[in-house]
Amino acid sequence: MRRTTFIAGMAAIFAWCSVASAQEKFPSRPIDMIVNFGPGGGADQLGRIASQLLERILSVPVPVSNIVGASGNTGLAKVASAQPDGYTVGVITGLSISSWAAGMGRLSVNDFAYLGVVQSSPSMLFVVIDSPVKNYQQLLDAAKASPGKLKVATAGFGTLDDFAVKYLAKKGFAMVNAPYAKPAERYTSILGKHTDVLFEEPGDVAQFLAAKQMRPIVVFGDKRHPEFPDVPASGEFDQHVDLPNWRALVASPNVPKDRVDALSAGIAKMTDTAEWKKFCSETYTCITKMNPADSKKFVQKNYDDAVAFLKESGGDPKK
Amino acid sequence: MDALASVYGGMMAALQPLNLVVLFMGLLVGVLAGALPGISFVNAMALSLPFTYLMSPLVAMAFLGGIYVGGVFGGSICSILLNIPGDPDSVPSCWDGYPLSKKKGSVYALSVAITASAIGGLVSALILTFAAPPFARFALSFDQPEFFAATLLGLVSVLAVCRGKLLVGLISLFTGITLGSVGADPLYGVQRLTFDVPMLENGIDFVVVMIGIFAIGEVLEACSARVGADLRVKDSARMGLLSLRDIWKLRGSISRGTGIGCIIGTIPGGGAAIGALVAYGIERQVNRQGGQFGTGVADGLAAPEASKNATTGTALIPMLTLGIPSSAGSAIMLAALVLHNVQPGPLLFTKQPELLYTIFASFLLANVFMIIVSMAVARGFGLVMKTNPTILYAFILVLSLIGAFAVRNNMADVIVCVGFGIVGYLMQRFQFPTAPLVLGVILGPLAEGYFMTSIANYGTLTVFFTRPVAAVIISVALLFVVWSLLPKRSASEGPMPQQASNG
Repeated sequence: MRRTTFIAGMAAIFAWCSVASAQEKFPSRPIDMIVNFGPGGGADQLGRIASQLLERILSVPVPVSNIVGASGNTGLAKVASAQPDGYTVGVITGLSISSWAAGMGRLSVNDFAYLGVVQSSPSMLFVVIDSPVKNYQQLLDAAKASPGKLKVATAGFGTLDDFAVKYLAKKGFAMVNAPYAKPAERYTSILGKHTDVLFEEPGDVAQFLAAKQMRPIVVFGDKRHPEFPDVPASGEFDQHVDLPNWRALVASPNVPKDRVDALSAGIAKMTDTAEWKKFCSETYTCITKMNPADSKKFVQKNYDDAVAFLKESGGDPKK
Repeated sequence: MDALASVYGGMMAALQPLNLVVLFMGLLVGVLAGALPGISFVNAMALSLPFTYLMSPLVAMAFLGGIYVGGVFGGSICSILLNIPGDPDSVPSCWDGYPLSKKKGSVYALSVAITASAIGGLVSALILTFAAPPFARFALSFDQPEFFAATLLGLVSVLAVCRGKLLVGLISLFTGITLGSVGADPLYGVQRLTFDVPMLENGIDFVVVMIGIFAIGEVLEACSARVGADLRVKDSARMGLLSLRDIWKLRGSISRGTGIGCIIGTIPGGGAAIGALVAYGIERQVNRQGGQFGTGVADGLAAPEASKNATTGTALIPMLTLGIPSSAGSAIMLAALVLHNVQPGPLLFTKQPELLYTIFASFLLANVFMIIVSMAVARGFGLVMKTNPTILYAFILVLSLIGAFAVRNNMADVIVCVGFGIVGYLMQRFQFPTAPLVLGVILGPLAEGYFMTSIANYGTLTVFFTRPVAAVIISVALLFVVWSLLPKRSASEGPMPQQASNG
């Protein structure tokens, strides 16, 4: 008898709790911001700025934790498998999506709820300021003259960078992909002249551009970038390849719609702040706002593009 | 601009009361986080990052710099008093530090450590202040083959620890390297040795292994030892600076350690752990008492201590002058600067020299004040050590588990950590050296990554011998192997440094 009462009591408490949690104001406790790359990189900068701004907008703390590894897939797996209560938010980048296209990890586009794509940056090639390579045409000529001699510092195999190098090789400009997972080592390699060209986003090397240590020679895409009017687009060389690296905030796929909307609205407000505008213009990453549905479409399209591009540039990314 | 005048100006700015208070707080947080097993100072720095949002960039750098300098030393307090390294950098400090504290008292051992660390740190901060640009150029001459060579030098330094027990030492080392290769490979992301266990897919983190083997292993060992057997520290854990005469006796080891640390700190991909290890290995070969290393030789503690803190100042050189962080600690400081809209790099010298020289001055001060803060913390630890060992070890256990979780915010790591605790305990019981295993897990993946990238970039094995810097370091490493395998003439064979020495 006693036991029945006990169970009934527990059930009542449980029911009350679940009702209470269903009616709970969202957000009412700290939101974890999972950054899938280490401190200092582009993903980390986004996570930390967003944490600062969202804290103000949503009135709850948004602590950042860096969960790194496997081209960002370790942290993403954590976000995808988090409790679907909206209290775990993560950073996702084009880099991770391209790693899926290249066959890494087990995640897919449908494993996330997209709260908003907030940044997109062109991919460019850079040389050190006193490099013998003066412009893109010279680089292409040199690559054609001695295939496999020039080295391109990239973020690794199976990344956007890797696709671009393969694409160029297929067009007859074979260069070595020098894979540096750590940005610090990548920049050391180009400044120390251990590699010839750097594949990077302009925002990540802004300090080197400002200090006149590096120079952009080409932007990948059909149109020139408004911030770099003097730098030719690859389209001008009949290389039609658009490889933006974008960044978005995501949550686990089963988060209730009202919470996704609440977070997404907060993110939309965030991108309207003066601080954000300053941040995105300094990193050359400002884009027009996207709601969750648009964001998902955008990501899906990017994934499809990456897969198609990978096929076109000749298959196996692990070679 | 005249460097001395700039340094003077920087010093005046750094001596502002607010800056000083924050610097002290940073040092205190750093030494404590370093000293507590399981809680690493890098964690403390990452956790402190949000606090710096509201500070000026200068105060933020004083705070983080304090944690960095204090944290790199702090780990040794625990190494010396408890034989549990507080941080990976402090593993070599256990080998002679703990026996030394048994032999000559913890006051002496701690004093050797703090003196050597302070000297190493100060020299390094001076190099940062006055010779940053040439050191930055030096850092740029390193590419993947050189990183590989430097890591290889760290790996062969492990041989120095294996003396007299070469076979089991090597088994332990290679087991560590194998464990380090579990998970996705660094270049292609292919899963290795995971046996489809999801828990293993992210690899085995070295900090987790270290905490398991050293801290939890030590706790288990203490549990199984006779109750109350020799666990308490008998004398107080005070420390002070050594007298000039004592410093003079250690001049060789301290200066060698400092030199090695300053160079390794500059290299992106180096770091305090490799610095301390290489300094210990080389000291053991060079020192006249090398044969007795592991039994509590002051030189064997002074060299890694000096080297470890000598990496702190020079690690900031590539970070501040090039915008390239060479260690986890300096990466967090870089992130803090970027958040404050200060872009580290060559422009800092021309655009914001005041800020730069104030950072230099704060770093110099940090190394001096570290002595005071460390003395206070060590004294506090002395009190803690007088508590009942059952309570003390319970705390260590809790801290270890929290630390294992905090590495990657991952529950699986806690399970792995406990597993390695049991492994560590068994290894100690059967007289298997544990340190080579941990060092294998730390250095193995680094060496592999650098090796693979070198081959991908240069396409040939000969690159390690055709690039001059790499060739020199590799030759030193090979020489070291031959040298450490040759029997020593005069000195008697010392026993292997043991983790378990209270049994």
